[in-house]
Amino acid sequence: MKDIIITVKQQKREIKIWLIALLVAFLLNVCAIWVYDTEWSELWTQGVWVLILSFLIYVLLWVPRLICWTLTLRRHK
Amino acid sequence: MNTFNSGRRDFIKELGAMGGGSLLLSAFPWLQACTGEVKKETTGEKARIAVIGTGSRGQYHLANLTKNPKADVVALCDNYASHLEAASAYFPKAKRYSDYRDVLGSKEVDGVIITTPLHEHAHITIEAFAAGKHVFCEKSLARTLDDCLAMYRAYQQSDRVFFVGQQRLFDPKYIRAMEMIREGVIGDIVGFRTYWFRNNDWRRPVPEPGLERKINWRLYKEYSAGMMTELATHQLQVGNWALQMIPEKVMGFGDIVYWKDGREVYDNISLIYRYANGVKMTYESIISNKFYGLEEQILGHKGTMEPEKGRYYFEEAQPAPGILQMINRIEHGIFDNVAFAGPSWVPETAAENKGNLIVDQVTTHDGSSSTGAAGDGSEELMDAYLSAVITGKRIPVLVEEAYYSSTLALLGEQAMDEQRVITYPEEYKISYLNFKAPDSDTTPDPVV
Repeated sequence: MKDIIITVKQQKREIKIWLIALLVAFLLNVCAIWVYDTEWSELWTQGVWVLILSFLIYVLLWVPRLICWTLTLRRHK
Repeated sequence: MNTFNSGRRDFIKELGAMGGGSLLLSAFPWLQACTGEVKKETTGEKARIAVIGTGSRGQYHLANLTKNPKADVVALCDNYASHLEAASAYFPKAKRYSDYRDVLGSKEVDGVIITTPLHEHAHITIEAFAAGKHVFCEKSLARTLDDCLAMYRAYQQSDRVFFVGQQRLFDPKYIRAMEMIREGVIGDIVGFRTYWFRNNDWRRPVPEPGLERKINWRLYKEYSAGMMTELATHQLQVGNWALQMIPEKVMGFGDIVYWKDGREVYDNISLIYRYANGVKMTYESIISNKFYGLEEQILGHKGTMEPEKGRYYFEEAQPAPGILQMINRIEHGIFDNVAFAGPSWVPETAAENKGNLIVDQVTTHDGSSSTGAAGDGSEELMDAYLSAVITGKRIPVLVEEAYYSSTLALLGEQAMDEQRVITYPEEYKISYLNFKAPDSDTTPDPVV
């Protein structure tokens, strides 16, 4: 077993990806309010759901990222 | 506009800060006894009070009076020594009487609180006015229509204060509910469903058989109309208050279904009151099932008010938040076609209509207490009476509200006894709201 080192660069990259996910979740909330004609106050009252959605998007983003990472590894071999 | 939307303590505070000209006071004029001006006028003053009838309800009021600095209970009166003894524990220095006439003859007494059995209300009240005393009488007003009218006439002819125990008129959640109804929150009123369910025999323990009718007077028609005069009066008053009308007809059935123990009053009641505009108010009372408790459901075309629970409901439930609707739609798009997909992982978006609070802090009770509940407006009502005794200022509307709720309860009893539709008799009408006294040239009071 060996230590896994996550570099500062990697940490910053993950935070940036999650922030993008948060922005996407926020925009989805805006779209939902628009489409379903609900209250604009949901922009802040539904913050918890936006947060949960952002984590979900972040996790889902691992699927294409893992595919890309695998393809890149193969190309370099 | 002076309105309120908070709890009971805040309500009392806000009323105390209110001037005589606020919109709240013009809509609910009996609250004039609770304004800041009255508070200032009565600070440090005492009302010398006698309590006539020291049974369970009398002792309930005495317990509240011990907490009120304006109350100086100087006399207690009962012809049942055991109750008088128990009541003395609240005010040991108060003089004890066994005959109410001695109380009325006392110059030490400014006002009386009458909490005797129902059939005693009328003559004690009338004699109290004649003796120059202010009167607080428990609801219902009286056992008969004639007695109700005689009490009202005696009040009109005196210059004394008269309060009746219709405490919902002083209950913050009811006052706010009525304000909201007038603001149109639930739209036009189209019906009322009122009920009071309990599951007990309504009997009090009797030390010896000879005292049965004296102690359990509520169960015998000579003294009481049972649930009509003891419970329904509160709820009929709420209907009239909300609609600002008095119903013109009543029909219904009453039976002794479960408690077949020698009682004479019904234990199972179902009535329909009809207002001139076609709106009906149903009243049901059963004392062998308590599941639904008590409520006055005020039905509007836009929503429903349940003041006893302190909640109101709109006809159309608020939709789920947009983001949940969207997640739900996506989830259904993905998993609806998957044969092995289990239960939904998204939150339930079919919004349950839990309603909204009428005031922020709601005090409710289940209606099972037959002496009185905490936070139901009784303390505010009594405080207003003490203030009125000190200032000598009469309060409008309160007596008229009590008069009609009492007479409607008695007419309900008559409808059940005779099993026919009863129309409100002209000779018992007094000028108030849509009704006009037969001997009056004045038009009925305007809707407040």
